[in-house]
Amino acid sequence: MPKNDVAVVGIGQTKFRSKRRDVNIPEMIYEAAKMALDDAKIEPKDIDAIIIGNMDHFEGINFSELWCGIDAAPGYLKPVVKVATGGTTGSSLAICGYYNVASGIYNKVLVIGWEKLNEGGATTGIITAFDPVWERPSLAGALGPLALMANTYAAKYGITPEQAAKVTVKNRSNAANNPFAHLQMPNITVDYVMSSQMISYPLRLHDCCPQSEGACAIIYANEEETKKVTDNPAWIQSVATAHYYTFGTDTIMFDLPSAAIASKEAYRKAGIKDPVKDLDVAEIYEPTSWSELSWTESLGFCKSGEGGKILDEGITQMGGELPVNPSGGVLSTNPIGATALVRVAEAAIQVMGRGGKRQVPDVEKALSMGFGGSLWTEILILGKEPKR
Amino acid sequence: MSKRKDKEKVFEIKWKTDLPYRYSIGKLAVKFFEELKNNKKILGSKCPKCGKVHFPPRGVCADCLVEMTLDDMVDLSPRGTLAGFTVVNYPFVDPNTGGMRPFPYGYAIFKLDGADTYTMHFLDEIDHTKMRVGQRVEAVFKEERQGNIDDIPYFRIIKEEE
Amino acid sequence: MGEEIEKKVFRGRIKVPYKHTSGAYVEKFITYIGKNHKIMGVKCPKCNKVFIPPKMICFECFEKMEEWVEVGNIGTITGFTVITHSTPVLPLEPPFAYARIRLEGADTDFVHLIKESDPSKLKIGMKVEAVFKEKPRKRILDIEYFQPI
Repeated sequence: MPKNDVAVVGIGQTKFRSKRRDVNIPEMIYEAAKMALDDAKIEPKDIDAIIIGNMDHFEGINFSELWCGIDAAPGYLKPVVKVATGGTTGSSLAICGYYNVASGIYNKVLVIGWEKLNEGGATTGIITAFDPVWERPSLAGALGPLALMANTYAAKYGITPEQAAKVTVKNRSNAANNPFAHLQMPNITVDYVMSSQMISYPLRLHDCCPQSEGACAIIYANEEETKKVTDNPAWIQSVATAHYYTFGTDTIMFDLPSAAIASKEAYRKAGIKDPVKDLDVAEIYEPTSWSELSWTESLGFCKSGEGGKILDEGITQMGGELPVNPSGGVLSTNPIGATALVRVAEAAIQVMGRGGKRQVPDVEKALSMGFGGSLWTEILILGKEPKR
Repeated sequence: MSKRKDKEKVFEIKWKTDLPYRYSIGKLAVKFFEELKNNKKILGSKCPKCGKVHFPPRGVCADCLVEMTLDDMVDLSPRGTLAGFTVVNYPFVDPNTGGMRPFPYGYAIFKLDGADTYTMHFLDEIDHTKMRVGQRVEAVFKEERQGNIDDIPYFRIIKEEE
Repeated sequence: MGEEIEKKVFRGRIKVPYKHTSGAYVEKFITYIGKNHKIMGVKCPKCNKVFIPPKMICFECFEKMEEWVEVGNIGTITGFTVITHSTPVLPLEPPFAYARIRLEGADTDFVHLIKESDPSKLKIGMKVEAVFKEKPRKRILDIEYFQPI
C-alpha cells in the first residue's frame, strides 16, 4: 500500500516539432523543466530528486543523464535517476517518480522525458535495441512488427483500412486543439489517409506516428506539499506495469495481452468497474491507427473486434462517452522518450480542467497508457480525488 | 518555413558510430547454429516443466523460470504456417551495416511446425496480394552455410499446387 | 582455442550516422574563435560565475545566462597529463599534454592541448597562450593548441 498520496502539481511541454535546430539537448529539456517549475511555482532548489529519461541510441550519446540531469534540470548535488524502457520510457518515468513520492522518500520530484529523435533516426535506433543474433538482421524498427500486428488483427476480425483511417482523422483533427501537438490537421479526411503511400502493408504513411523532437516535464508532490502549491492538482489513483516476453513474437500479436493485464490491475486499484462508464477521458498510446482499434479492446473499452464500432458510434470521439486522445495522441506527436509522459501530462491537464479547446467536460477520472519494448504496457489512472 | 530556417542557428556535428561487438550467444545458440550449418536442421528448446517448445531456443522458460539445457533441444520442421505478413517499404539505415537496407522486402510472422512460439523473418515475396494468413511457408537454406541466421536468408510461400 | 571462442560469439557491429545539434551557444563560441581569435564565455546573472565553454544554464543557480564576456587567450595550467604513445587518432604528435586551463576571467577550467616538446618543463601554475588555426573549420580545434609563455 502506498504511504502517501501523490499529485501532479506542475506540467511543462515544448511545442513538438520534427526538428529543433535552434536548441541543443539540455536547452530543449530546460524549456519543459522551467515551464513545469513556473507552473507549480516551486523553486528549483526545492526539488528533491530528478527522474529523467530518453533512449540513448536515438541521439548516440550514451549516459545522457550525465549532462542533461544537471544542465537542464536542477539536479546539481541532488539524486538524478535515469529510466529508459523504450516506448514506455515516459510512463515508466511517471511511475518511478510516483513510487519515489508515494514511498515517502522524497516530497517533491521532477520527472522529465525527452527525445531529439531526428539526430539519429527512429528505425535505426530501435533495431539496435533488439537481439543481435536473431532479430536485428530482419527487424524493420517498430513499424515492421506493428504492421504485422495490424495485419493479424485485420485478418482475425475483418477490419478494413478505412476503419483504421478514421482513427487518424479523429486524432489529428483533435490535435488541432492542442497547441503543443506536432501534427495538427483540422481538415484531414479518410481519403487523405487512404491515398498516402503504403509504408508497410497494411500501414500507410498516415496510419503511422511521426518522429518528433521535444521534452515533457511533470512535478509530483505528496499531500502536504501539494496543499502548499495548488488547489487544483491531479491525483494519481493507481499505477500498473506489465512487461512481456523477450521476443514479442512468442505469442500471436493481434491484441495486447500486457494492456489487458495492466489495465485490469489499475482499474481494480482505482475502483473502476466499467471503464467506459467510470473513466471520463483516456490518453492511450497508439503508434498506428490500427493500434488504437485493437488496444481499446485490450483495455476493456469494448468487446474483442469492436474497436472500430465504438469509434463509429462516437463513444471514443470528442463529445462521446469516453473520448480517446483529445490531445491528438501518438499519431500526432511522438518524441519517443517523452511520448508516454505526454499521455500522463495530458490526462493530468484534463483532470485539472486546463485543456482549453481540447478539454473534455467534467473530468473526474482519466486514464493514461504507455506502450513499448517488446509489447509492454503501463497504465496510470489520475483523478480529482486522491482516494478511490 | 524556409525563412525561419535561415534565421535559426544550425550548428550540427555529424559523426558515424562504428562499434564492434562480440556477443556471447549461449550454449543453446551454439548448438543451434552448428546443426544449422552442418545438418540443415532447425532446433528449438522445450521447457522440461510446461513442455512449451521455444523458437528461437533459449536458456530459460519465461513462464516457469526453469532452465532449458542442450538435452532439452528438439527438432523443428523447416515448414510453418503464416500468421501475418507485411512488405516493408520505407528507407532506413541498417545499423548492422551503416548503409540503407534494401527495400521493399517481405516480412512475416509465422509458427514453425512443432514450435509453440512465433517467429519473424524475411519472406520471399513483395506483393502483398499474393500473401494470405494461413499459407504454408518453408525455410530456404543457403548451400554454403556459415553458422548464423543468414544461413536461412528467407522463407518462401509453398504454392497450393505443391 | 580461438576457434572455440569464435563459435561462442556473434561478431556484430553497430554503425549509426548521427547529426548532433550543438545549439546557438556553441555556434557563437566556435565562430568567435574562428573569425575573431577570441574566446568568449557566459556569465550567470545571479552568482556572476563565468563559464567556459558557454552553456545556457548555470547549474548551481538554474538561471539562463545571456551575458557574453570575453576571457583572455592566456590562462594558467591547473592540471595536466602527458601523452607519450603514438596512435593515428591523436591531434598532435607526441609528446604533448592534455591540460585543464583556467583562462583569465573564467571561473571554470577548460580542457585543451598543450604543445611542448619537453614535457618536463610543464608545471601546474604556468601560463599558456592560445594558438589559433590558420583556416578555421568550425571545430574546437580551431584553437590548435596552447603553448607555454
